[in-house]
Amino acid sequence: MSDLHTSRPAIDPDARPIVEARDLKTHFQGRSGIFSALAGVKPPTAKALDGVDLRIRKSEIVGLVGESGCGKSTLGMSLVRMYQPTDGRILYLDDDITRAEGRRLKDYRRQAQIIFQDPYSSLNPRLTIGQVIEEPLVIHDIGNAAERRERVVRALDLVRIPAVDNIDRYPSDLSGGQRQRVAIARALVLEPTFIVADEPVSMLDVSIQASVLELLDELSRKLGLAILYISHDIATVGYICDHVAVMYLGRIVEEGKAEDILSAPLHPYTQRLMAAIPRMDPGDTAGRAEIRGDVPSPMNVPQGCRFSSRCPYVADLCRAVEPELGQHPAGQRVRCHIYGSEGAKRFPDLQRPEWGRITEVTDAGTLAQASS
Amino acid sequence: MTSTSLATPENRTASPATMQALATLNDRLAAKPAAHLRVEKLSIAYSTARGPFHAVDDVSFEVKPGTNLGLVGESGCGKSTVIKALIGLQPEGTKVSGQALLDGQEILGLSERALQDVRWTKISLITQSAMNSLDPVYCIGDQICEAIQAHESVSRATAWARAEEMFALVGLPASRLHDFPHQFSGGMRQRTVIAMALALNAGMLLADEPTTALDPIMQSQIMSRIRGIHEHMRRSMILVTHDIAVVAETCENTVVMYAGKVAEKGPTTDVLARPLHPYTMGLQNAFPRLPVKGQPRQALISIPGIVPNLLRPPPGCRFAGRCPFATERCHIEAPAVTAVGAQSAACHYIDRAPEFREAAARPETWRKLGAGA
Repeated sequence: MSDLHTSRPAIDPDARPIVEARDLKTHFQGRSGIFSALAGVKPPTAKALDGVDLRIRKSEIVGLVGESGCGKSTLGMSLVRMYQPTDGRILYLDDDITRAEGRRLKDYRRQAQIIFQDPYSSLNPRLTIGQVIEEPLVIHDIGNAAERRERVVRALDLVRIPAVDNIDRYPSDLSGGQRQRVAIARALVLEPTFIVADEPVSMLDVSIQASVLELLDELSRKLGLAILYISHDIATVGYICDHVAVMYLGRIVEEGKAEDILSAPLHPYTQRLMAAIPRMDPGDTAGRAEIRGDVPSPMNVPQGCRFSSRCPYVADLCRAVEPELGQHPAGQRVRCHIYGSEGAKRFPDLQRPEWGRITEVTDAGTLAQASS
Repeated sequence: MTSTSLATPENRTASPATMQALATLNDRLAAKPAAHLRVEKLSIAYSTARGPFHAVDDVSFEVKPGTNLGLVGESGCGKSTVIKALIGLQPEGTKVSGQALLDGQEILGLSERALQDVRWTKISLITQSAMNSLDPVYCIGDQICEAIQAHESVSRATAWARAEEMFALVGLPASRLHDFPHQFSGGMRQRTVIAMALALNAGMLLADEPTTALDPIMQSQIMSRIRGIHEHMRRSMILVTHDIAVVAETCENTVVMYAGKVAEKGPTTDVLARPLHPYTMGLQNAFPRLPVKGQPRQALISIPGIVPNLLRPPPGCRFAGRCPFATERCHIEAPAVTAVGAQSAACHYIDRAPEFREAAARPETWRKLGAGA
């Protein structure tokens, strides 16, 4: 078994990605009532995912972090085609599967699996563990009964659940950690190449989180799995991820190597996200930069930089022009005008944000007078 | 702190008399001292079809006036059961024994009538699921006013003015008192529940996992509100959580519970810096930390096994089945509580704690045991 503190082998940055999202957008159309329809009012659109680029390579674990409602799960579910993207492309080994249907879609789903947050509701309580894990094989019509059983036993082995004792038990007989392992075994039984793990440990007690993280780490190395690990717990991301992407309101605001992002975040949002994590050393709350208010609604995305309504460094430029995701010399890519951006050069007369010039941002997300 | 919002009808009609009544009410409530709570030998057994379930067994602790006590442990350790018993919300047929003295008054086994005098005024609860603790068909302001008027004979206008002040305290605009719970986000609802718990300035606050379902930014907002209130109003509080770091930041004292018993208790700084019980060591090392540049990462451990079934509690130490240091004695004989300074733990080998601490930081220590479990 691997130790979580040993560093993961380096991933070749030029290797061909297993899964790649290019400017991926998933918008949800609201429904209009009869009166607004008659009045010709268009129903609102929630731009849950609004232009994301992401690549995941063989044996790589990419962490995706952000607050509730920033579009993390929408990205995960779009990548495995549970949601139909509105625009942009999803490439699986350079094959465009954004609009694949029928046989091709079924083939893709065999390669791309997802693990959900809640192991208490994601397993059918009326099926035995063996039947739960066998079901994907039946759906994909793989092997005869004996071969399927053999595959189920192998999958249980991989997640370190003794098959003989557990294959005929029901999910209710298992603890939360064991259930999550069964959910992982179900995802593995089709021998996929790509797995989305959507908050796989946030429902588990802290005492058993490590064992599930360890398992994901080991599987990515042993089976060469590409894994997208979605979590709002940034501390756990540091233990298993090679690469981290931080999302805010449907877009990536910062991405790079896990250790760069976690120890020296650049984007004001990432910095506040990291500062919000409680520390173990008693009394160490000094210097905590509190981020106020809620994420704006994806139906009403702010003009310019999406974080401008909550950013303490906000300036006129931020409210007018959305910055692009630019390469920073420190290694990571960051979407913030503070680090200069090409597009902003077209607006030389707008006031620019700078470090240290803190403006007051009110709770409701509206901007008060700049104090200085 | 007076609200300047003129949007509410109450405010437009807020007469000098109302403001005077509010000032009197505020003075009366502010005069309430922080409560002192002493829990002695508390045992709670739920009745089930398969016999009594000993959720809490012989638990004692004390909350000194104006201090925070953190109650930590895994799910199913009896933390919430303790809280429910303290506010008289245990299901019918539950056997509760022992004592809980709130400022010298016994609060276990009170009649419904007597409970009404204690709840909200002396002891109030911040619940875990803010979604379910608000009535969906009443506007938020009405719900807060109802609680105030049930205990203080003031006019509705005065109660509303007090509710506005409480909203300001938790950082919500007074105009939103007219909203219904479904119009609030999760974090706003949680703040509303805190505002309600503070409305009558109870001397003792019970916070049962107030931030568990929230993301880290919302958690940080709520916890800093709770800390700020604690500093300004000097209330006593019990904070139930499974997040050791939240306790480290908020509580002076900590009680670590395992399988219905107190495993370890003492000042938070001591318990976290020098844990005496192997369970505390395990919990602490299982907690993910942010990396510090240039320093090697600490290993993340997991505690193998699960909490024992409390329908038939094991005879010896309840943690023995999962403890990497357990001996034969641990499985047979229940350990007594041993004190080391202000700190105490229920472990037979408390004198070997320094040696255990070192071993418990290594994942192999816990894994050896896990292979068999």
